[in-house]
Amino acid sequence: MPKPLVPVIRIAKYTIADEVRQRSFIVMSVICAVFIFLVRGCYHGEYMVNGRELDGGQMVIMVSKITFHVIAAGVMFLAALLSMRLFGRERNDGTQSCILSKPITRWQYVGGKVLGLWVLLTVFMFVLHGIVFAITSINLRVVMPEYLMASLLCSFNLLFIVVTVLLLSLMMPDVAAFLCIMGIGFMGSVADGIHAVSHHPMMEQIMMQQQGAQPEISFWQVVYYLWPKLAGAQHYAASLIGSEGISEPGAVYPLINIITYCLILGALLFWRFGKEDIV
Amino acid sequence: MIELNAVTKLYGTLAAVDNVSFSVKAGEYFALLGPNGAGKTTIVKMLLDFTPPSSGALSLNGFASTNAASRAAVGYLAENHHIPPYLSGWQYLERCAQLLDIKPSYVPDQCRRIVEQIGMQGREHSKAETYSKGMIQRFGLGAALIGEPKLLILDEPTSGLDPIGIREIRLILESFKCQGMTIFLNSHLLSEVEKICDNAAIINQGKLLVKDTIAALVKDGDTLEDVFVRLVKG
Repeated sequence: MPKPLVPVIRIAKYTIADEVRQRSFIVMSVICAVFIFLVRGCYHGEYMVNGRELDGGQMVIMVSKITFHVIAAGVMFLAALLSMRLFGRERNDGTQSCILSKPITRWQYVGGKVLGLWVLLTVFMFVLHGIVFAITSINLRVVMPEYLMASLLCSFNLLFIVVTVLLLSLMMPDVAAFLCIMGIGFMGSVADGIHAVSHHPMMEQIMMQQQGAQPEISFWQVVYYLWPKLAGAQHYAASLIGSEGISEPGAVYPLINIITYCLILGALLFWRFGKEDIV
Repeated sequence: MIELNAVTKLYGTLAAVDNVSFSVKAGEYFALLGPNGAGKTTIVKMLLDFTPPSSGALSLNGFASTNAASRAAVGYLAENHHIPPYLSGWQYLERCAQLLDIKPSYVPDQCRRIVEQIGMQGREHSKAETYSKGMIQRFGLGAALIGEPKLLILDEPTSGLDPIGIREIRLILESFKCQGMTIFLNSHLLSEVEKICDNAAIINQGKLLVKDTIAALVKDGDTLEDVFVRLVKG
């Protein structure tokens, strides 16, 4: 392994060891365990609507998708909770000054922190998704390897949240950083919703009648394309589950959007931390 | 070993450190003295690259302080040292050793030797949340000693300790004298400094007032305290 990466890996290892002791991680783990235990019941029995039995295979895919979204959203929430306090806590408990008084550069410190949190959260989400995958594979003999692939794709959302909240926590109080990331997620979902509604054939027709043949570029269209597409990336990952497949060639755009944001905000985080006074 | 060349640190318009220059040679026991807010901790922070100087240059071990290699043989004990409460003193020392890239097979031996040096045998495996302030300060000193540093930078190492704790830390520091270690002690406990240091500099409101040997500073039945008060009060 290249020598500059050795401290990064060590700091990442300590970050994981420290974060699993945090109350928010323990509470979320318990909530997830209870959720999966309850979801287990959804995979048993037959579903009837108006006296007609529903297609079992389709039901498994639908329930699995719902579970996928709930787990991914829960782990994203956990990512924001863990990231918001990381720098503040390490500043207060002396870990930051202890590490940086050694021949360790700031980029190695930040790199280790980001890597540690990202790996921890990705593994946590992968394990939870893996349990659902195991339930469907063992109980129902429906094997969906794309479920695990989708889980890994969602890890880019976690990286985005970790990097963004760490960056914001350097510039504002921890709680404000947490609320900001919640706002970013909410705004993105609203923009996705408005885009979906405005692209419905009926809505398109109404708008054409009102505005003429030339549709205007609205504020929400700009937001839809440029805003971090957390919900979009998650939906793209979920679209891999089952036989749905990727219908549009542009469906991968949300993932590219999130990865681009990770790179830009990651560079900003390293730059900003380099200017930070260590207490 | 330590060089400060016309170093200034401004916080807005306030000069926390104002055009300070001095050097500390290898093997010296050096004390940086000054009242609260004089700029002592700011100098330590600049030496460790925790904050950049507004102007001037600092070097450690022949490297610019901005170079991480300058901290390769440096041990640091912060004022009001903390240990994460869920770690034991031993685990904390192990972490520090691993961060210094010490061979894994040497780590237990080194930690054991340091636990003996700081007199914490029997308590090293208890969680830090059960430690007193003095015990945390001792483990902090132990962490600074990992990797056999050539230079120890101690920022108010006896801050918040009772007289017995202060004496114990002093005795530990005195025991390093024969090992040829350099100590940069940042303190306002003048009686302790007088007992262990060879050289001292006094700063006030960011300005260096004097730098000399303790023997040259304290003359004619004076104490270091008398000299300090005279210089600081002008």
